[in-house]
Amino acid sequence: MAEILFSSWGGEVVDNRSKEGQDLEPVNTVELPEYFRQDEAVKALMGWYGLVIRDPETDIVDLSRVYMKEIQEKSCGKCFLCRIGTRVMAEILERICSGQGKSQDLGILTRLAESIQESSKCNIGQSGPIPILHALEHFAADFEAAINDKKVVPAGTYHSKLTAPCMDACPIHLDIPTYVECIKEGRFQDSLDVIREKLPLPGVVGRVCVRPCEEHCRRMNLDAPISIKFLKRFVADYELSKGKEPKFAIKPSAKTGKVAVVGAGPGGATCAYHLTRMGHEVTVYERFDEPGGMSAMGIPDYRLPRTILREEVDRIERMGATFNYESSVGKDVKLSQLEADNDAVFIAIGSQLGTTMGVEGEEENYDGYISGVQYLLDINQGRDPYPAGKKVVVVGGGNVAIDCVRCSFRVDKPDVNLVYRRTKNEMPADDVEIHDAEEEKVNFHYLTHPVKILAEAGKVVGLRCVRMELGEPDESGRRRPVPVEGSEFVIDCDIVVPAIGQTQDLSLLEGREDVKTTRWKTIVADEKTKQTDQPKIFSAGDCETGPGALITACAGGRTAAYSIDKMINGESLEYTEDDNFDTFFKKVKVFDQAEDLGFLGGRERKELEMLDPDTRKFTNDEVEQGYSIQEAMIEADRCLRCYRVATVKV
Amino acid sequence: MVTLTIDGKEVTVPQGTTILEAAKGVDIKIPTLCYHERLNPIGSCRMCVVEIEGFTHPMAACTTPVEDGIEVTTNSERLTRIRQDSLKLILVNHPLDCPICDKGGECLLQDLVYDHGIDQVEYTAAKIERDSSYATPLIRYWPDRCIMCLRCVTACQEIKGIGAISIKGDGYGAQVVVVDQDKCQSCGECLQVCPTGALTADLSRYKGRTWLLERVPTTCTYCGCGCQLELNVQNDRVIAVTTQDGVGVNQGSLCVKGRFGYEFINSDERLTTPLIRKNGELQEAGWDEALSLVAEKFSAIKAEFGGGAIGGLTSARCTNEDNYLFQKFMRAAVGTNNVDHCARL
Repeated sequence: MAEILFSSWGGEVVDNRSKEGQDLEPVNTVELPEYFRQDEAVKALMGWYGLVIRDPETDIVDLSRVYMKEIQEKSCGKCFLCRIGTRVMAEILERICSGQGKSQDLGILTRLAESIQESSKCNIGQSGPIPILHALEHFAADFEAAINDKKVVPAGTYHSKLTAPCMDACPIHLDIPTYVECIKEGRFQDSLDVIREKLPLPGVVGRVCVRPCEEHCRRMNLDAPISIKFLKRFVADYELSKGKEPKFAIKPSAKTGKVAVVGAGPGGATCAYHLTRMGHEVTVYERFDEPGGMSAMGIPDYRLPRTILREEVDRIERMGATFNYESSVGKDVKLSQLEADNDAVFIAIGSQLGTTMGVEGEEENYDGYISGVQYLLDINQGRDPYPAGKKVVVVGGGNVAIDCVRCSFRVDKPDVNLVYRRTKNEMPADDVEIHDAEEEKVNFHYLTHPVKILAEAGKVVGLRCVRMELGEPDESGRRRPVPVEGSEFVIDCDIVVPAIGQTQDLSLLEGREDVKTTRWKTIVADEKTKQTDQPKIFSAGDCETGPGALITACAGGRTAAYSIDKMINGESLEYTEDDNFDTFFKKVKVFDQAEDLGFLGGRERKELEMLDPDTRKFTNDEVEQGYSIQEAMIEADRCLRCYRVATVKV
Repeated sequence: MVTLTIDGKEVTVPQGTTILEAAKGVDIKIPTLCYHERLNPIGSCRMCVVEIEGFTHPMAACTTPVEDGIEVTTNSERLTRIRQDSLKLILVNHPLDCPICDKGGECLLQDLVYDHGIDQVEYTAAKIERDSSYATPLIRYWPDRCIMCLRCVTACQEIKGIGAISIKGDGYGAQVVVVDQDKCQSCGECLQVCPTGALTADLSRYKGRTWLLERVPTTCTYCGCGCQLELNVQNDRVIAVTTQDGVGVNQGSLCVKGRFGYEFINSDERLTTPLIRKNGELQEAGWDEALSLVAEKFSAIKAEFGGGAIGGLTSARCTNEDNYLFQKFMRAAVGTNNVDHCARL
């Protein structure tokens, strides 16, 4: 990586301007990518934590001008210092660059930058002046020269973007600070409009999202992250409780076409929503008789009531998309037919098959051996998967495994066990889900691995397991479990549910070679456009990424919709500015968990009321009760509004 | 309860109290501009910033709840600089038209600039032409005087639950606008909370300086709510209606009629005495004479035809108590059940 000339990122100053060779100091606080896009090398960065310069030709005065202009344009105008102060600063820098600087300008810039940074209401104003202060301190001579020379400073080429830690972490990049602020101000409908700009399923995502945003919430550095997920659920529920039909902003495309969407899950629904909004004629094919895909079939009603899912997808139908239920692509209609009839096809069929454990007895198909996916599917369709069975062992440590154990109580199976080969610390399932399962009194067998399914007369009677201990870390960084010799034991049971992973049924492709697949049976599509090797076919969601988060599928569906729209309009699918910044921010981290905010915290996060564990475990009623209006507004008020701007010189 | 110190004074207040409220309790005055007692803290003006020992960032006292053991400082060189900068920035392009501003003399911005001794502003920004369409025939909007404290937006949303006004635009170009003209009822809640002359009562424009007016407390006559208001009187003419925050059932709120429907008071056609028809002509009479006449006629009708021949219709402008007494009077004194009320029609 090319050397960095100067960095003040995170307040740690590395000044290599007069150093060479061995004396060059490394920069530890940030990794500046070499390229912004293929043909554009990154020369410098100005952003929320400071200033990083790689190219000695970088004109710091011009960079400051462009950055401050961006800050002013992104200022929301809701506090005096940021709204007017950044304008005053931007105009001074503009003036200096046009050769009309005055001797008092630098003093005014410094004083204002300090006042704005110290007292602005949100992070735009708090972070905006930081790199300017660094520049004024470490590059004073450049500013003075620009003022004294009275020459026009040549304008460079820059890319700028507004982001926030939560927004950046969200796969679909929802404008979280804005929709949370709307809630704080009591403008619930406006909040929904902000969400729906990208996501048509706020009620669904507001219930089951794995919330990467909350793991990147800067409030965590003070007390606890704000409850972004439940705030989203609140506005969706509020609208529903008022019986309002949402108004969707229609943004017709110049040229419209016909698109087939395969799968009415989160990815397909989101894609259909955006395409319909743009005026394209969309037909969705779904093999089940209801929408939701794996989120309907795999997520139990006590976590995500089916009515919410149906309503949110039905709205997309009412917008104008056609939904063909009980129509399986590959069986009822061929993919090649869809290709022939449409301008584009979007495949988002999910991960519908369970994977096997590879233990003895698994191939025998005993009564009582049921894959996790099938087990949940049966229960969610209102059937008891195996009425004769009462004692259940679920194998696995993910969210599907937890769903399987918690569902078991709800179909009258009182003895429920979960077998996981590592410890609770390594369990990939959501901590909240694990906690809820513990409350409902699931028997957890940690450091336990299945060895053999025991059966009598073709029926499961037990699972032989072996105790494990943690050894050396494997490639995932988690310590590899190894069996303890002679520790085998049997758990009596009549149902064994493997829930250790899922895979994809790609039979709809009929082995064609123009759509590439991986050895994990996922479809290969471009990461940023979701286009496959066959230009007319796009794919996203679990069938493209492997089993993943619902919001990731939604993000993929949205991306695909925009790519399809471009294709129909004859535009090239080159990466957008946002795509390039996505890659850029993967290196220049938007969130720093170690940042000391310098604020007083101590405002408690409002948790949801829950049904009592002993009551809820036998019903399918939703366990988590939503926020009241007041609770939602108080929770939203905890948001620090961590917007920040990055300006990249190329 | 939480105990903290503010400028060295120990204060004990309930959890959830803000630093600003806690300071008020021990008579420590922190300057505020956007803060309004009837509204949730807005935090737009940053005048109330304070320092908390151990934390690098100054924080707004109005939006920061107290914590046990914190040590708060409300005055320092840094805080004064921030407050002065906040005010100076507002004064960039703020018209100094105080001589003809209806708010002159009771303007919070005027007071704060005076308090902070700001005699010059070294900051400049190009002036932006702003849209003044946010106005009704009753409320005048002076966009250049608007400091964007957002009290009006918050009051419209929080007190009236209407949400007719909001912010449009970003950065320096952001301004308060009507987002839904149909929702605005001209109730004047925005005007009531405006700390400057950005929103003024159009009927009162240039009619009288605030310090010359006599303010007569009275009760609104438009309905039975009993809202408390003040008639602003100059030379025996009502030129405006105002209210006092925190007084009466209305706590400072009024509806469009109560706040702006006062011009009838000055009308030449207004009846000021009862009229009795004599020889086919309506002639002015005294109350005693009029009431005696009514009592006499009612008694005669009742004696001849019975109480059932008399009916009573009462008004929504009366209070519940008035209405109760009226039906009691009709039933017990007049002897009839023929009582009704205009709100039922």
